[in-house]
Amino acid sequence: MLKKKVFRDIKFNKSQFVTIFLMVFLGVFIYSGISSYMDGMKNGAQKYYDENNLQDVWVVGSNFTKEDLEQIRELDNVNAAERKLTVMGSIDNIKDSTAQINFIESNDISKFHVIDGIKFDKNEQGVWIDSYWAENNNLKVGDTLTIRYNEKTFDQKIVGIILSPDHVYDPKSEAELFPTHMDYGFIYLSVNEFVFGAENAIYNYILVDIDNVKNIDETKLNIENVLENAVAITDRTHDLSVKRFEDEIEEGNTYTGVFSGIFLFIAMLSVVTTMNRLVRKQRGEIGILKALGFRNKKIALLYVSYGFWISLCAGILGVILGPIIVGQIFLNMILTYYEMPELLVVVTWKTWLVSALIIGVVSIVTYLSCRNELKEKAIYLLKIEEPKTGKTNVSLDKGIFKKFGFSTKWNIRDIMRSRIRTIMGVIGVTSCCALIICAFGILNTLNDYIDWQLKDLYNFEYRIALEEGYTDKSFNDIVSSYGNNTSQTLNIEFKKEDKKEINTITVDDANGLLRYTDENRNFLELENNGIYVTRKLAETSDLKVGDTVTWHILGSDTWYSSQIIGFNTNPQNQNITMTKKYLDSMGIEYNPDKVYTNTDLSNIKELSGTEAIQNRESIIDGVESMLETMKTMVIMIIFAAIILGIVIVYNLGILSFVEKTYQFATLKVLGFQTKKIGKIFIKQNIWITFIAVLLGAPLGYYMAYFIFRMAMADDIDMMAKVNVSSYLYGIVGTIVVSFIVNYILSRKIKTINMVESLKANE
Amino acid sequence: MRDIIELNTVSKIYKTGEKEYRALDNVSLKISKGEFVVILGPSGAGKSTLLNLIGGMDSVTSGKIIIDGKDISDYNEQQLTDFRAENIGFIFQFYNILPTLTVIENVELVKEVVKKQVDAKKALESVGLEEHLNKFPNQLSGGEQQRVSIARAISKNPKILLCDEPTGALDSKTGIEVLKLLKMQCSKSSGENTVIVVTHNALFAEIADTVIRVKNGRIESVTQNQNPKMVDEVTW
Repeated sequence: MLKKKVFRDIKFNKSQFVTIFLMVFLGVFIYSGISSYMDGMKNGAQKYYDENNLQDVWVVGSNFTKEDLEQIRELDNVNAAERKLTVMGSIDNIKDSTAQINFIESNDISKFHVIDGIKFDKNEQGVWIDSYWAENNNLKVGDTLTIRYNEKTFDQKIVGIILSPDHVYDPKSEAELFPTHMDYGFIYLSVNEFVFGAENAIYNYILVDIDNVKNIDETKLNIENVLENAVAITDRTHDLSVKRFEDEIEEGNTYTGVFSGIFLFIAMLSVVTTMNRLVRKQRGEIGILKALGFRNKKIALLYVSYGFWISLCAGILGVILGPIIVGQIFLNMILTYYEMPELLVVVTWKTWLVSALIIGVVSIVTYLSCRNELKEKAIYLLKIEEPKTGKTNVSLDKGIFKKFGFSTKWNIRDIMRSRIRTIMGVIGVTSCCALIICAFGILNTLNDYIDWQLKDLYNFEYRIALEEGYTDKSFNDIVSSYGNNTSQTLNIEFKKEDKKEINTITVDDANGLLRYTDENRNFLELENNGIYVTRKLAETSDLKVGDTVTWHILGSDTWYSSQIIGFNTNPQNQNITMTKKYLDSMGIEYNPDKVYTNTDLSNIKELSGTEAIQNRESIIDGVESMLETMKTMVIMIIFAAIILGIVIVYNLGILSFVEKTYQFATLKVLGFQTKKIGKIFIKQNIWITFIAVLLGAPLGYYMAYFIFRMAMADDIDMMAKVNVSSYLYGIVGTIVVSFIVNYILSRKIKTINMVESLKANE
Repeated sequence: MRDIIELNTVSKIYKTGEKEYRALDNVSLKISKGEFVVILGPSGAGKSTLLNLIGGMDSVTSGKIIIDGKDISDYNEQQLTDFRAENIGFIFQFYNILPTLTVIENVELVKEVVKKQVDAKKALESVGLEEHLNKFPNQLSGGEQQRVSIARAISKNPKILLCDEPTGALDSKTGIEVLKLLKMQCSKSSGENTVIVVTHNALFAEIADTVIRVKNGRIESVTQNQNPKMVDEVTW
């Protein structure tokens, strides 16, 4: 019989139970969706690296010989090693293309994931091409590519469309945060196909697979000792591709943590209030059950089962649908710029645990609510509940309060009487407003990043990357035609006290074509008497203006000391900057590796001594298309925030409406018109919305600030920017939702049946 | 004295699903102005329905209700609201005063809907609550709370005062005090109103000018009491 009561109660309190169901479902749905996405990325990458045997150590240098390779292979802890020659070139079939051309002898390390065509074979003619690049340019197995390298062209048939674990994140240059798969990609060929003959291949990489990763530092040291021509020896923790993907997960964990945390918080808040009210509404019935002789335990179990079954169903549905809908969509989006064969959502025990916790919390809250009622004697439960007064009894007949009308006084007292409900309402609506503003703020900040990095800091139209070992003649030809605006990137190791760190120094001689900004984003004129470090690098490495940093160029043992004379800010590169004049003053030779120009180079097909020519506009286009993907994700968050907002405002509205029905019935009896009662009702909710919006706007900004300033990876330092329009969307959106919901509710006043409402109270 | 209330063949039928419940069945009735009327009857007889229809809280299924010469049976929701505001004072068994307003605020509330309100303080003085003006309902006894609701009702200066079991929740001593107050409101005593009290306590008949007995949704009898007793003269 009691089971029947459960079902009937659920039927008669449909809207409350639907709210609880929706809230638990939405909370779990978003949480499990997002965490399955993050865990999916993590597991997917690990699986991909393991299955395709990504190298543990990268050795960069020049002209690695067969003996060098053998020496490494013989080292302890080394499982396998392979040589690779990587050069930059282009492909004539693809417009404005830059190609990373790799010649290899074998492919047991960083094995290809073949999507179409054949596996790597040293004796096979032909080219294996990056599948993302091929797809964007409609290239298939059997097509012929005209490859241009070092002023020579040669034709090769595509024999494989592949992915490589070494190229998960593969932007054209370190200056591009997002890879473009249209004009840049990688290709692999057997070294037998090297234009100048396999015997003339000058290998510049050795990939090393080691047995025990724990001893990696020792192995790296051993490699350093046997190879004199190694410029840099790095492991996975410093590899751009591996690290960027890991950073993506780390960043994602933080900002999605913020979002899903807030979602869960709001959802739980709503559930707790609803469940509490629901049980209190059943006070009389609890009294009847007690009077009939039901034990407290049995009654408690009955009420706990309400919360338990509803949240169990909602939780399970959330865990099932969240990963399928949110998680997989996000993963597929991520796969548009990270090159991986496949990423699948992973639901870990953590997700189930969080869902179980939510169900537990709902059940406990239900238990606690009915425990209070159960403590009372049946006879008192059957009587009407004395209205909670708390601080209701405040005098509002003095000072300015005296001038307040009835509805204002009534609302002030009602708020004081139902403080918890009011506070929950304010928190709920504040969070929704903040979520919307923050989500729009993310969009604004991403757009602002384009302006900052690609319009403020890059003051050039074209950037020419010079080939390693270019001749004086070709350099002079370039600068005489396009201007002598250059820079050099020095790979260095710096130390402050005992801490050592690998980083780069940009030596600037670009005459204003590269610009720098200070902490307030004002342009900075570089002085010639010291170095500038980026703010984020200063923070992570504990550097201050006035500190002295000692450093050396990688591959050289000469140490220099430089004083930090200022901080600059850069959204995507955290490094050190100095002027050429300062470099000259230290007696270090300046060898520019980039030339900047505003001359139109769109018709230049090939330029001697150059590796790549990049057009700022095409970088912007690439970044914008990548941002579209992120924007879609943000729009999904905004959409979810709006749904959540509607449910919360409606839920709180219903709760406050139900509580006031009796009072409204009395007012109706007294002759108050429905409209007038409606105004009284809406007044309080307008106040709540107004306060919530005032709190939500700055909170939204700080959420965005936290995400960009604190939560991002070490090399990213974006400044949160929230446009006025975003505040307006958040504020107006919240007010509109609140207004519509309240309007719908106030129409219900018309339907209050005075006789029944007043009777119900008896 | 002229009739202030006239019911002509009034029926009220409630429908639940396919079942019909006749709460009032073809009731015709006249009540004169200024009388103290008691409606008696067992539970479910239709007393409260009768009161609610007269007070414009509910509308008839068929028949006519004429109050002070105006037919209210065709009134829409808004007209009924205005009618209640101007003409009717209600007193319920469980007081129905707003818990978040003070005593005086509960009475002053009427200002919001009535143009000519009796001074709230005076109304409260007349029910003996001048000491409690700024208290909240939960600081008052049941009898005092009922007196607040009487003060609120009379402060509207209504033509008709409708009381549904006004002493039902009170002990007998407090109940007597409340009855005295109600009796004072009708013009046959010292007031200006017509007072109708619904009760199942037969003793009320002794103090009424007119006693209407209701049973199974019909009027069983209407008795005029030539010598109504004072409240204190009845042995409660």
